[in-house]
Amino acid sequence: MAADMRLPTIRKTVSLSASAFDRKDLVVPGDVITSDTGFMRGHGTYVDDDKLTASVAGEVQRVDKLICVRPLKTRFNGEVGDVVVGRITEVQQKRWKVQTNSRLDSVLLLSSVNLPGGELRRRSAEDELTMREYLQEGDLISAEVQSVFLDGALSLHTRSLKYGKLGQGVLVQLSPSLIKRQKTHFHNLPCGASIILGNNGFVWLYPTPGQQEEEAGGFYTSLEPVSLLDREVISRLRNCLLALAAHKVLLYDTSVLYCYESSLQHQVKDLLKPEVMEEIVMLTQQKLLEQEG
Amino acid sequence: MKDTPLSNCERDFLLKAIEEKKRLDGRQTYDYRKIKISFGTDYGCCFVDLGQTRVMAQVSCELVAPKENRPNEGIMFFNIELSPMASPGFEQGRQSELSVKLNRQLERCLRNSKCIDTESLCVVSGEKVWQIRVDVHTLNNDGNLMDAASIAAITALCHFRRPDVSTQGQEVTVYSPEERDPIPLSIYHMPISVSFAFFQQGTYLLVDPCEREERVMDGLLVIAMNKHREICSIQSSGGIMLLKEQVMRCSKIAGVKVSEITELISEALLNDRKARKAGGKCGFAESMPQDRITALKKDETPVEMTDVTETANGIIQKGEAAPQTVPSPVVPVPGVGQVGQGLQNSWGLEEDDEDDYEEEKNDNSGDEQVEEVTKMDVGEGGLLFIYLDSLM
Repeated sequence: MAADMRLPTIRKTVSLSASAFDRKDLVVPGDVITSDTGFMRGHGTYVDDDKLTASVAGEVQRVDKLICVRPLKTRFNGEVGDVVVGRITEVQQKRWKVQTNSRLDSVLLLSSVNLPGGELRRRSAEDELTMREYLQEGDLISAEVQSVFLDGALSLHTRSLKYGKLGQGVLVQLSPSLIKRQKTHFHNLPCGASIILGNNGFVWLYPTPGQQEEEAGGFYTSLEPVSLLDREVISRLRNCLLALAAHKVLLYDTSVLYCYESSLQHQVKDLLKPEVMEEIVMLTQQKLLEQEG
Repeated sequence: MKDTPLSNCERDFLLKAIEEKKRLDGRQTYDYRKIKISFGTDYGCCFVDLGQTRVMAQVSCELVAPKENRPNEGIMFFNIELSPMASPGFEQGRQSELSVKLNRQLERCLRNSKCIDTESLCVVSGEKVWQIRVDVHTLNNDGNLMDAASIAAITALCHFRRPDVSTQGQEVTVYSPEERDPIPLSIYHMPISVSFAFFQQGTYLLVDPCEREERVMDGLLVIAMNKHREICSIQSSGGIMLLKEQVMRCSKIAGVKVSEITELISEALLNDRKARKAGGKCGFAESMPQDRITALKKDETPVEMTDVTETANGIIQKGEAAPQTVPSPVVPVPGVGQVGQGLQNSWGLEEDDEDDYEEEKNDNSGDEQVEEVTKMDVGEGGLLFIYLDSLM
């Protein structure tokens, strides 16, 4: 097996979208935002000697008299309606605890999942005992945020056929601030794979299912072997996601697709090299700018 | 903060690799990671690196009243601090199960084995004795904190010097280090603990588990021994059933490992003593620079170099020629030149319909696309179609 060796070099920081940075007000913790006392302070700020100071690193957002700082890299703060991809950490009485890259583990109540036999079935005592047959510790699920508890923990539900236990695929863990909020987070990419862009930064890549047979309501995971072609597409997508994340490009289906197309000229394993990453992200940025402008 | 859970495929991979006698870092079943011992500027301050696991031990002493039932013995106090610096799963101040376990094990290893002569710590019987306090701080957790902590504790105790005292009747004079040289503790033997991790209900065992291996292990056996092959403490946790032969085998392995580690400790202590005598800079400041990113010095990584030339030659001969950077133009159809090949699936094709799928998906390859190109088009896949008027 041939191995690649490279000497350490000084990596030059490439600011790919110089124009974008002019618009934003980026602050670091300790930066004074304003000395004017007329503003109300929001999240991410504190008052120090009558001066409004930032407590997180991010961009300043102003809504009338309210100033808050939205951090660039943070734990996932869920809102109602967000799609998340999480991993079951605990099976408790009548609920599952799900790790979603937030400050507290999210909660998936037994009454919020689809059980086989129809949605309106009453949850019986046997269901409680057989919870582990549906979802165990270590399983990955896709779910939607139903509500937010007072302490910030999220309550999830999988009450739709598109949510549920995830089968064969690849999970990529990124920062939640890189995922763009869109109407839908489930995409069937034309390159031959499907993607779930969870708002919490967990992105799930999986082979596009052939026929939609979902009688079991989201708990059926097909264990058929995945073809090599699909695997290659998914590996390439995963490396593209890592490249985009390394250069802090907002992730949504179009940017992922453009990056995939730009990467076709390289081999899948070459996409992990820093200079190749830079190249394909620059091409992607170009295409995205052309599309907008 | 809770630790991120281990995914199922990672767990399966680790267990399968262990079944095939492979470890993540390439060690053998009975190999320890690289142990590095360094000392701080004070006497009694010791850093131990066990691979990436890093702990610091500090020994201090104080004159206190002795315990009532032991009026002429000194007091030993051990404390292991699990700080959030070591792992995000550790909480500051919270007594977790692991911290209780480590504390108990360290106490049994060092206190019950009577490795320190506590009677020599007595100053005035019934009134004043030395209390020796050993604080072990975990700086980085990459598995096997117990062994690292025990090595750090015993090395720090050997390194420590307590102030000299003299008694005249009831009067006790404590001399400062400038007045009289501080004297070392009297240590009979050096108990060192060796950890064995068991997998698949005791079928496979590994010495010195790293953090990933610890997460998937079924049970742990900790044997504390000294170089004279005397077992000081032995503890099995995790609820696995161990056979008599396994325990015997582990104790033999522990004997070998302990003698190696004891030699390492003695060497480190000797080097430190020489450095201090020579008056050179020793301690904390000296041992730190290696870890700075900007420093040019880096730890050596062991690489197999025995047959590098032959293997390299073999790879070059058997490997395929590098792809041409400037492919020559090909004329598939009069009037159009094609430079470069469209992308082929490099993972091997299994069925014929995959070929067609590949053609559809990659619309830059294949001759049937040629007619649609009417102008110069640099497509993805490095394909360049040139409309060659002159060829017509």
